[in-house]
Amino acid sequence: MNDDRDNAHIKSLAKDLSEKKIDRREFVRFATLLGVSASAAYGLAGKISGEAFAPAARAEDLPKGGTFRLGNRIKEIKNPHAYSWGGYDSNMSRQVLEYLTFTDDKGVTNPHLAESWSASPDLRTWTFKLRQGVKWSNGDALTADQVVWNLKRVLDPEVGSSMIGLMGGYMLKDDPSQKDAKGNPKQVVWDANAIEKVDDQTFRLNCKAAQVAVPEHLFHYVMAILHPDDKGVFQVGSKGTGAFDLVEFEVGKKATFKAKKGYWGGDAHVDMLEMSDTGDDPTAAISALASKQLHGLVFGDPLQYEALSAMPHLQLYSVATGETIVMRMKVTAKPFTDARVRQAMRYAVDQAPILQVALHGLGRAGQHHHTSPAHPEFAELPPFTRDLAKAKQLLAEAGFPNGLDTEIFVPTDNPWGQVQVEAAVEQWKEAGIRVKITLMPGASYWDVWTKVPFGSTIWYHRPLAIMTYGLAYRTGAPWNESDYSNKTFDELLVQAEGTLDIGKRKEIMAKLEKILQDDGPLVQPLFRDTFTFMDKRVKGFSMHPTNYFFGWKVGLAEA
Amino acid sequence: MIALVGKRVLGLVGTLLVASFLVFAVTEFSPGNVARKTLGPFAAQESVDLLYAKLHLNDPLPVRYGRWLGVLTGVIADPLQDPALKLDFKDPRGDRYFGNFGYSTLYKLPVNDVIWNRLGNTAMLAGISFALIVPLSLLFGVLAGMREGSVLDRTISIFGIIATSVPEFASGVFLVAIFVVALGLLPGTSPLTTGGGGWSIASQFVLPVTVLVLYDSGYVVRMVRGSTAEVMSKPYIRTALLKGLPFKTVVWRHAVRNAMIAPFTVLLLQINFLISGVVVTEMVFAYPGFGRMLLEASLFGDIALIEAATLVALAIATTTQLASDIGYVLLNPQIRVR
Repeated sequence: MNDDRDNAHIKSLAKDLSEKKIDRREFVRFATLLGVSASAAYGLAGKISGEAFAPAARAEDLPKGGTFRLGNRIKEIKNPHAYSWGGYDSNMSRQVLEYLTFTDDKGVTNPHLAESWSASPDLRTWTFKLRQGVKWSNGDALTADQVVWNLKRVLDPEVGSSMIGLMGGYMLKDDPSQKDAKGNPKQVVWDANAIEKVDDQTFRLNCKAAQVAVPEHLFHYVMAILHPDDKGVFQVGSKGTGAFDLVEFEVGKKATFKAKKGYWGGDAHVDMLEMSDTGDDPTAAISALASKQLHGLVFGDPLQYEALSAMPHLQLYSVATGETIVMRMKVTAKPFTDARVRQAMRYAVDQAPILQVALHGLGRAGQHHHTSPAHPEFAELPPFTRDLAKAKQLLAEAGFPNGLDTEIFVPTDNPWGQVQVEAAVEQWKEAGIRVKITLMPGASYWDVWTKVPFGSTIWYHRPLAIMTYGLAYRTGAPWNESDYSNKTFDELLVQAEGTLDIGKRKEIMAKLEKILQDDGPLVQPLFRDTFTFMDKRVKGFSMHPTNYFFGWKVGLAEA
Repeated sequence: MIALVGKRVLGLVGTLLVASFLVFAVTEFSPGNVARKTLGPFAAQESVDLLYAKLHLNDPLPVRYGRWLGVLTGVIADPLQDPALKLDFKDPRGDRYFGNFGYSTLYKLPVNDVIWNRLGNTAMLAGISFALIVPLSLLFGVLAGMREGSVLDRTISIFGIIATSVPEFASGVFLVAIFVVALGLLPGTSPLTTGGGGWSIASQFVLPVTVLVLYDSGYVVRMVRGSTAEVMSKPYIRTALLKGLPFKTVVWRHAVRNAMIAPFTVLLLQINFLISGVVVTEMVFAYPGFGRMLLEASLFGDIALIEAATLVALAIATTTQLASDIGYVLLNPQIRVR
């Protein structure tokens, strides 16, 4: 891949690294995004900065054999390209079906089924080379045709894949000659040659617009690569390239996976992988771990934290994420039309106590701009702290000298979000902001989440902060739940999305973050650390910020 | 008797029709969009609308109810199984047969493939519990009732009240804390599979059954005790005692049979409770049962599954009602059923 290192973007990254504008981790993260393999990037980083890089614990040292038992919700898994939420369903299919890229727990995007890739200098043409020797369960070799079939399928609106949300902007266009059920123009791939097979092992994406995060999009949980013969359906007996085959499956009960011989990444350490459903009640999972019926949970609930940390045979794993619950105000609804009111709402909250009561401190303070230290482009601003006097003054200026009354809609499906709102409401009271809490079942809230004037919405971790910005705060975006519209913000965001130079990107990010702090529609006191507990017998596990579980990584020591 | 059963069956069919329509009408007003829940919050609105239309959810209520009835009786084919819709809904029994409850949108399986297995699991839990509740509550109820106000009566009554006033979620967690976390004697959940931690299936029944028996027999003991105490104060009991019969014989031969009429109804009602009212216990112990399935279906808005579960629960309730009526006749020949 020597030619890749001559890529102008890699050169500029290397320059940043040698001038210490970025650290080694950021260098690796961005170099791998552009297709330099992780080991080559680490090597390159070592050469430039002169620091040696300590390799991760060798996987061969893990114990072999045994059945690993994981607590997971066994939801329906038939349609991987249209999964609703990757937390449960994709963690089952992930053991069988694989992705073209692999974003690890440190945010570094590594090659996976795609062995290497390169981007054109304008970031519009991305060429991916597939790994040699990858075999499906039935012995077929992985080919570019199969991958192209998968990409075309997820971009068909009829399939209902959320990949459209990520890739639609640079891969799709409206076709006025075709209408969908509601009479709107149908979305089609923007150019006949947009998804191009180059040869049996190579394919190319020709994008409508520049996009820096293509490799990370390809790791989105619905972008699993299926065998075209399976027609998009995943079930017992489906073909996969992964380390396991699904051998048994019952919704609400369990899913069993058997390790297969000859996996391209080296055979899995455990023989079997069994996932069981312990239901909606978080205490059931605690009981199952206590009686060692499970070796671990796919991810923990803050309500389980105290009970589980008291059990001596369990080990805590946690990782910082960009997962957060924003209390967002619709800028088109009174009194939030006035930026001073929104600003006062932010000045009236104190992050530290909220973090303590909502998450037992398992997280970090948010700065009301929805970019987490877990994001590579995070730009640190001076800490945003509580200022009651300022909040009151802003309210008075906005015409509310005696404070104001309003109502917040809160879904009950995330208990910690509910606690966060309750804590914030107490703090707002001191600034004269009297907020009534209206609780709604999650199902009802998700029908109206983009409509309520003031609501509490969960946003999961995404590998890049600009991805969240594009989804949630860009003018007119479908998930822009607060109707936020700021021309400067939009322009800067487009700039950030096309800027690879990390120093320059961070400068733009600092401006974007500041705009959200000054004018934005959100009160965002904290970011959650995602965590889980595993039996101390479990080796090789690490927590992924998106709660992804990889069965081929873990081994099970003797009891 | 045959006329009675016939009349009851007719009544049952009528009740089922009304109830099934009510379930449809109620879900009409309950929030949540099945298509949105299937595709999740990350899917584009266009995709959600497409799926909504495919599932025929935008048809008017009477049309959807009529179609459901037609599919159930096998008069019409299930439209959701049409391969042209690309929903991939397949039923090995075909798309047109009597008793076709349709397709569960939550489990993505024919309802008939989901419901009977779950019902079987719950029936097992209910059966074991019931087999313990009946003798235990009769024994303790009679023991307490035969000498009202005695020390034995007071002791049993107090324990009964305590057992029944502690809700299942509390007693469940309490028992788990003792027998699972502190002592490590029993498994904390009951997935009904062996393997994890090496617990046998039988050991997985101990805690959920204990919770149900404690909660339920406390109540039934009180009923039996009250009824026995009442009978024991009747003149014919006094007569029997005065003419020199042993106390044991009096209680056994004269009191118990007469005291059983009211508790008998209550006991049969417990069957309904044990089938569809054990949601809490099933949740606490992650038991793969009927109640948990019904709760999940309701939260999701899976109308086909809710309908089927309602019909099954109603059928069980009506059957136990019939059984209790027949039981009355056997217990008390004075009662005539017409």
